[in-house]
Amino acid sequence: MERRELIQWLVATAGLRALDGLAPADLFALGRDIHRDTTSHAAGRTLTAHAEQTVAIAAERIIPATETPGATDAGVSAFIEKMLTDWHTPAERERFLAGLQDLDARCRARASRDFVACSEADQVAVLTALDDAHEEWFDRLKYLTVYGYCTSEVGQRALGLFPLPWRYDGCAPVDAAH
Amino acid sequence: MPPTDFDAIVVGSGMTGGWAAKELTELGLRTLVLEAGRPITPEQDYVEHKPSWEMPFRGLGDRRATASRQPIQSHSVSFDEMSHVFWTDDVDNPYSTPADRPFSWFRARQVGGKSIIWGRQVYRMSDLDFEANLREGIAVDWPIRYKDIAPWYDHVERFIGVSGQKEGLAQLPDGEFLPPMALNCAEQHVRQRMQERFGRDRVLTIGRVANLTAPHNGRAPCHYCGPCHRGCITRSYFSSVNATLPAARATGRLTLRPFSIVKRLVYDSKKNRVTGVRIIDAQTKQEREYTARVVFLCASALESARILLNSGLANSSGQVGRNIMDHIKWGGAGGQFDGWTDRRVIGERPNGIYVPRFRNVSSRHPDFIRGYGFQGGADRSGWEAALHAPGIGRAFKARLSQLGPWTMSFAGFGEMLPREENRATLHPTLVDAWGIPSLHIDCRWSDNELAIHRDMSVTAAELLEAAGATHIEPSTRGPSTPGGTNHEMGTARMGRDPKTSVLNSWNQTWDVPNLFVTDGAAMTSSSCQNPSLTYMALTARACRYAVDQLKRREL
Repeated sequence: MERRELIQWLVATAGLRALDGLAPADLFALGRDIHRDTTSHAAGRTLTAHAEQTVAIAAERIIPATETPGATDAGVSAFIEKMLTDWHTPAERERFLAGLQDLDARCRARASRDFVACSEADQVAVLTALDDAHEEWFDRLKYLTVYGYCTSEVGQRALGLFPLPWRYDGCAPVDAAH
Repeated sequence: MPPTDFDAIVVGSGMTGGWAAKELTELGLRTLVLEAGRPITPEQDYVEHKPSWEMPFRGLGDRRATASRQPIQSHSVSFDEMSHVFWTDDVDNPYSTPADRPFSWFRARQVGGKSIIWGRQVYRMSDLDFEANLREGIAVDWPIRYKDIAPWYDHVERFIGVSGQKEGLAQLPDGEFLPPMALNCAEQHVRQRMQERFGRDRVLTIGRVANLTAPHNGRAPCHYCGPCHRGCITRSYFSSVNATLPAARATGRLTLRPFSIVKRLVYDSKKNRVTGVRIIDAQTKQEREYTARVVFLCASALESARILLNSGLANSSGQVGRNIMDHIKWGGAGGQFDGWTDRRVIGERPNGIYVPRFRNVSSRHPDFIRGYGFQGGADRSGWEAALHAPGIGRAFKARLSQLGPWTMSFAGFGEMLPREENRATLHPTLVDAWGIPSLHIDCRWSDNELAIHRDMSVTAAELLEAAGATHIEPSTRGPSTPGGTNHEMGTARMGRDPKTSVLNSWNQTWDVPNLFVTDGAAMTSSSCQNPSLTYMALTARACRYAVDQLKRREL
């Protein structure tokens, strides 16, 4: 019963919009169109343009676009900006921003350039090391990335959670369509 | 000037207030319903279909606003980013407790009250419950038995619509059910294995829930969208907004006044009758008085007690505010199953499983009296399991769409004994935003509840073991905070003796004949079943009695 909290908050929400039946390619286009703003890396209320770009690229490395849309398509960095500004405590926010600076420092030590300018291979290597070390700020980034992606319209559609089935089947084949 | 004189006044528009409104108006009384909170318009206020990406915090809630305005309400399981508007503001509505004995008072002020955000589980009480106090010498005897309330359970169930499965168990009488919701693969398996191991002693059944599985009284069946506590535009679950208040309105005899905070009852000592109710308009803060021949308090157990205490009425027994009960929870267990990896759940069933009470039913437990039931269910985890999983990139992303193993959990809901020292009193200085004295609530579990809580985790693990689960984990949580189940009750109990109870067998106050209390305050014991169905049945029964008495000019 306790686990209902997250699951109900997230999985059980859906609109009645008729966006059904879009092909994956359309979904990519939809996602990019919706979130065009977030790929321009403008400064937000908390993140500078550089920090926003850092967050956006790191999120994309965590959840890359594959056969389905990735974190950028889902506008994850805008969600993270919102959470940092209006949800987290000042102390949590400061630790997160210090973490972004540490990320650049690690990249400069490794490849003599900031994270955003590193090769994808270097970016993945540095982020993997942070993930293995369970750095607090990185765990927060990853949590917000996963959460932001999976609660976005793009993510919910990619995961097959939206639109809602409007019925209940307690023993459906795993690959059954809604 | 709008009218100020009515046949009946009902205080509260929620679970029981809605029923009083429906019954009294249908029986011919011009009825005023006073609601402390705002009006509710389903088309505008229900938000169950708002998708996560349209919520500013995607369902995580406005953490800062919650911390400053709703630090208590936010602990309710039905509180979230969307439903927080259906819970009260803790700053405007303060109460106190002893520093070392917290009590969670979850409160709703709007038309519909908590019936908008309730858990919708509905279970009958049986004579195992109604006879328990007498049999065991606890508190006072219920003045009624199952046969007295059974027709009223029928009456309520027929109107609200309850889906469920008949099981023929004496301790959990069957009702008038719509088709049951389905058990999922794992739950069917557990039911079967429990039957093999425990026979009729421990039974797993689908929850009995006030969500429709078929069209019913003009309301549509459930469409399995999930977050019922945000409202239901198809009126598929029972609330007063969805069902009883529209029925009352249809009679042409209902007047509903929102933003009406009851300050006190008005009493005529010569006639020994309440003559009406004095309210404060929540918006203008102006006071007004309304008069009626009969008054029903349906404001929720603690609010109704508060109104009685603030009015200095119906308390010759000294029992008003005493005997607070809730249900103890957080004992239980979870486990995994290896099978059905090719199967999953589609849709959000607004319901789980129920295991009716089995302790102290046919045998006697050495450590405690009374018992508990289990709620819970089985499912497979989805992307949320990846929130803390290792890795990044393509392989990590693939985990988001992988389903975890089937897991099953049992969560106990245990009976609480009535004890006089569990008590709400008027606070000497603390007042709410309208200047009305607040409550000081002093309530704790007794050894009996704590023993029940411990036993829940043992037997839940036994059930999972019998079902062949792996990774069985008994709950390590301590007992819930009193009040935390939001089943508070008992503060104006029914009884057989005016010296030791507040209400007679008809929910009529012993002291003031035209004053009735029909919400959870009336409960003489708590049983372990979810109580709302009993509150509703008692309300309908009391309304019929009151109208009969009025007709005979005996009120």
